[in-house]
Amino acid sequence: MTDLVMEAKHVFKMYGENIKKAEKIDTEPCIDKKHLVEAVKDVSLQIRKGDIKLIFGPSGSGKSTFLRCMAMLEIPDKGEIYLGNECLTAPGVDLNKARARIGFVFQHIYLFRHLTALGNVELALRQVLKLPKEEARKRALAALAEVKVTDCIHKFPSQMSGGQAQRVGIARAIARNPDIILLDEPTSALDPELTGEVIDTLRDLANEGMTMLIVSHEMPFAREVAEEMIFYDEGSVVETGPPLLFFNAPNTDRAKKFMTRIINRTTREY
Amino acid sequence: MDVGQQLVFILEGVPITLSISIISFLIGIAVGLPLAFIRVYEKEISFIVDAYEKIFRGVPEIVLLLLFFFGLRPFIPFPFGNAYFVACFVLGLRSGANQSQIYRGAIRGIGDEQMIAGVSVGFSKWRAIRHVMIPQVFNFSTAGLGSEYALLIKDSAYVYVIGLAEVVTRSLQLSRIPPGDYVTPFVLAAVIYIAITFPLAFWLDRWGNKRKKKIGL
Repeated sequence: MTDLVMEAKHVFKMYGENIKKAEKIDTEPCIDKKHLVEAVKDVSLQIRKGDIKLIFGPSGSGKSTFLRCMAMLEIPDKGEIYLGNECLTAPGVDLNKARARIGFVFQHIYLFRHLTALGNVELALRQVLKLPKEEARKRALAALAEVKVTDCIHKFPSQMSGGQAQRVGIARAIARNPDIILLDEPTSALDPELTGEVIDTLRDLANEGMTMLIVSHEMPFAREVAEEMIFYDEGSVVETGPPLLFFNAPNTDRAKKFMTRIINRTTREY
Repeated sequence: MDVGQQLVFILEGVPITLSISIISFLIGIAVGLPLAFIRVYEKEISFIVDAYEKIFRGVPEIVLLLLFFFGLRPFIPFPFGNAYFVACFVLGLRSGANQSQIYRGAIRGIGDEQMIAGVSVGFSKWRAIRHVMIPQVFNFSTAGLGSEYALLIKDSAYVYVIGLAEVVTRSLQLSRIPPGDYVTPFVLAAVIYIAITFPLAFWLDRWGNKRKKKIGL
């Protein structure tokens, strides 16, 4: 049990515009609750050191919300999130410290726009980990070298291609030597051409034994590196298994349908 | 007095006009930035910001100046009770209310994603504001700040009511010299105001555009 890096236990998260209203009228029959989406319904998940797990499923099914809950960027309504032995959902936990140990890569990248690539990676090393200047610089450069963007370390996000920017985003996440990195559809905002370079970077990280939880629809990549694939639909885990299971014969109808659709699309594209 | 002498006499008031507007502009930054972030990120106490903005934006500067200088001066500790400090503080507090609104717009422009990204690397909310949001706020608010500064220079004209020898006060003094010239001194004052208002507003705007281009907005 000691090699558990992260664990989610029965996590729930509601999502919707009227969430505040619904909370207020909780004592009355809640008319407003029908506007809410249960983005995460009783999801549990264990990730061990070196695991690479991939969550996939229809858009709008709550995958991203679940991933954000894992990083405590959104606070679950119910359930527990553990980072190692520490329960992040318990009151009084220093979430900032915990988040510093979790790398997060966003679908729309979200690099700090006022900083260069180097500045983006360095900022947390200097200001969160409080490393001395030279060491922060050294580690930032190493992280940028690892994702192979050494040619644009002095460029601002707006001057980079989407693929470069996303790789800088990955460098920003791994530079802190996090226990795990969570990736929220790291390639879906990119052109197919640029997707390849980001996938290559992720493959390198996988080979180095990085623990990763990825939301993605990159099926060839999933087949290659993922130990486990998690099919997620309507707020809950529908089916879990090794890639082979999904590529050959998923047990549930929903997964079957989704796989057929996605594989058809993939073969058309490649 | 010929026009040249009049001009020199009025120009001697420019340092006061300029320094009041610059100091109150800086006070406005110091007040406006925290107010804007409280308004956006601390919803529970944002009513305080609301009340502050309503008061300082709703009451004419001249009333504030009179009230603070003649009404509250006995309660203001030395050395801040003199006309110069009162002028800077009143205009600065008022500018803070305006600037708070300018920065709030800028914070919206930067977008919540930057904040989330900041928190995701391990910053607390206030440290993310400090390291991620504040460095970007000024890129998004140069146009508003330029016009705010122009406004402050013009507002500094009101301080003649508390007796500071700035541009307006000096023009008034000239106009009262018998037989009384009510045209030249005020035309000179108008020209001086235009000359000191626009260079900074222009420079701010250009700096902002350059920054925006650099980071690609």
